[in-house]
Amino acid sequence: MSPRPWRGLALLPLVAALPALGQDISGYSTTFVRDWKDAAPSQNYLPATEFLGIDGNNLGSEKLSMHLYGWGQRDLADQSYLPGKSAGDLSYGYLQYRFGQANAELKAGRFSINQGIGFQSVDGVSGKTDLRGGFTVSAFAGKPVVYKNLSENRQSEASFQQDVIFGGRLGWRAGLLGEVGVSYLQDGSKPAYQYADSGDPQTQDYTRRLLGADIWVAPAAFLDFRGRTVWDVSDRPQPAPGNDPSRLAEHDYRATAKLSDTVSLGGTYVERHFAAYYAGSTLPSNLFNPAQQGSFKATGLLATWQATGIVQLTADVRRTSRENYGDSTRYGADVRCNWSDRNLQAGAGYHKVNAFTVPALDVITPAYSLSHGEWRAWVLGQRGNLSASLDAILLNFTDAAENPFLYGKSSETALVGSVGYQAKADLKVSGDLSLDDSAVVRQTMGLVRVEYRFGLAGKGGK
Amino acid sequence: MLKRLTWIAAAAGLALLMTACSVVSQAGSYAPTHPEQLPQGRPTCSDCHGTERVASTGKSYSAFDHTAAFVADHRIPASQDPNTCAVCHSPSFCADCHSGKTPIQPATRLGDRPDRMSPHPANYLVLHKIEGKIDPTGCYECHGRANNQQCSQCHS
Repeated sequence: MSPRPWRGLALLPLVAALPALGQDISGYSTTFVRDWKDAAPSQNYLPATEFLGIDGNNLGSEKLSMHLYGWGQRDLADQSYLPGKSAGDLSYGYLQYRFGQANAELKAGRFSINQGIGFQSVDGVSGKTDLRGGFTVSAFAGKPVVYKNLSENRQSEASFQQDVIFGGRLGWRAGLLGEVGVSYLQDGSKPAYQYADSGDPQTQDYTRRLLGADIWVAPAAFLDFRGRTVWDVSDRPQPAPGNDPSRLAEHDYRATAKLSDTVSLGGTYVERHFAAYYAGSTLPSNLFNPAQQGSFKATGLLATWQATGIVQLTADVRRTSRENYGDSTRYGADVRCNWSDRNLQAGAGYHKVNAFTVPALDVITPAYSLSHGEWRAWVLGQRGNLSASLDAILLNFTDAAENPFLYGKSSETALVGSVGYQAKADLKVSGDLSLDDSAVVRQTMGLVRVEYRFGLAGKGGK
Repeated sequence: MLKRLTWIAAAAGLALLMTACSVVSQAGSYAPTHPEQLPQGRPTCSDCHGTERVASTGKSYSAFDHTAAFVADHRIPASQDPNTCAVCHSPSFCADCHSGKTPIQPATRLGDRPDRMSPHPANYLVLHKIEGKIDPTGCYECHGRANNQQCSQCHS
């Protein structure tokens, strides 16, 4: 946590002046002010939050660019965010050099790595390039960015995993068939000891070392198969006889077939073994324990039908199995409409989860079901300078009487309404009002959002 | 001895660099931006590109159609072809949901954009206890890394 998070906001005047310095600087600023209350204990929250991003292109060379994004927050009333009333973070900030050939690039600074295995924020360097013969190679090294949500006196718990991270991926594109790759990730240079709830280290001493293989086969426009397998290749303590859990951390695969111009069918398969999947974790042992036996498996189907140019229907079912607990099935359907000529979108859906029953712990904590249903409907539109949206969610729980998380409440509702005004091409002001009514909170929140963009923001995906 | 080793390492590095340069692909890189403005909503790349293939990836444009399945499982495309994503998406688009540390959860930040289907809409506090029991690996996928202490705020 930066001790002076508002220091970064001092850059705002400079940012505002950047368009005058060069036409290839673009930026986006979003300011939020939220207001909500908690009843017990009585708290009044009024945090002001600023998200600021800057993209600088053609920095002396058209191949050199800079990308910055971060936030700062100040509580104007009670403290809303751990661990202080002022907070801030640099999400990413890096220089990038993109070569004119081979999709080669170099990055230096703070950025996210997602080559093959893992998705993690790193302070370091990375590079990648395509090679002859269809090969592609990428590598990164640096120091993992630690999201210090906890207080300083608890940071030492994972300090041995904060010194170095490195890895890379070697891929091969087989003509028009697809791509296969192998990747490696190591996080930390020393074994990680997972801490038990007592604060004492457990006996698990895995270093996080993962080896992955990924595949993406798309031999024709109508067929697509992609996924990855990850193995834990860390040094493990000598297992007890008859207790050597699988090295396989994960299978995660999806196949999609486009049956016609309007109909596609997808299938998924996921298998995760807890011991290997959680290897190297320092998070609470009651959540992610590498010593835990068992596995999780899931299979799913998803069908999409573009019924008209406006209406898209999807139906999906997912069967999951958690070893030592039980099986669950989630199924449902969604409809999504897009009237692009009217700047209007809408969607609705329902999903039912038939889940296993958690066995009774004792006479005080009886067995309870996790089954529930999920409704959702939303609409989003724009006319002239005005925009509006509405999003409604309703959850129905099957076993409110026995489920200890529900406190007897059988449903949960959430409603978010938003209206916006595009004051100028680069300035938009919007306000949200959200209502939450759940087993643990009954809350009304107001939010004001000011979005300001400048420069040649040629993309953004908004 | 150290000086000699340094020279040997430098010579080996130079040889490696020259070898590497000779094996680098001569093909041009991706266009940095999409040449035309895209309509609102999730794009179906194959609507315009048909059965064409994305230069240098060999994959069909239809493999990048933003269908419900693609949106739900975009990590393989993002890890294999990040430059293809970057043609339309700036890094901040990913950061809207994938910032490791943020004071406002994505669904609240994007409260005016329900079409984005941000993770964990509404008050997720109750539902996460149920979904976490059904599939704890689903939480770990995003929140389980050793440098992410978010779970430890309550679970410790």
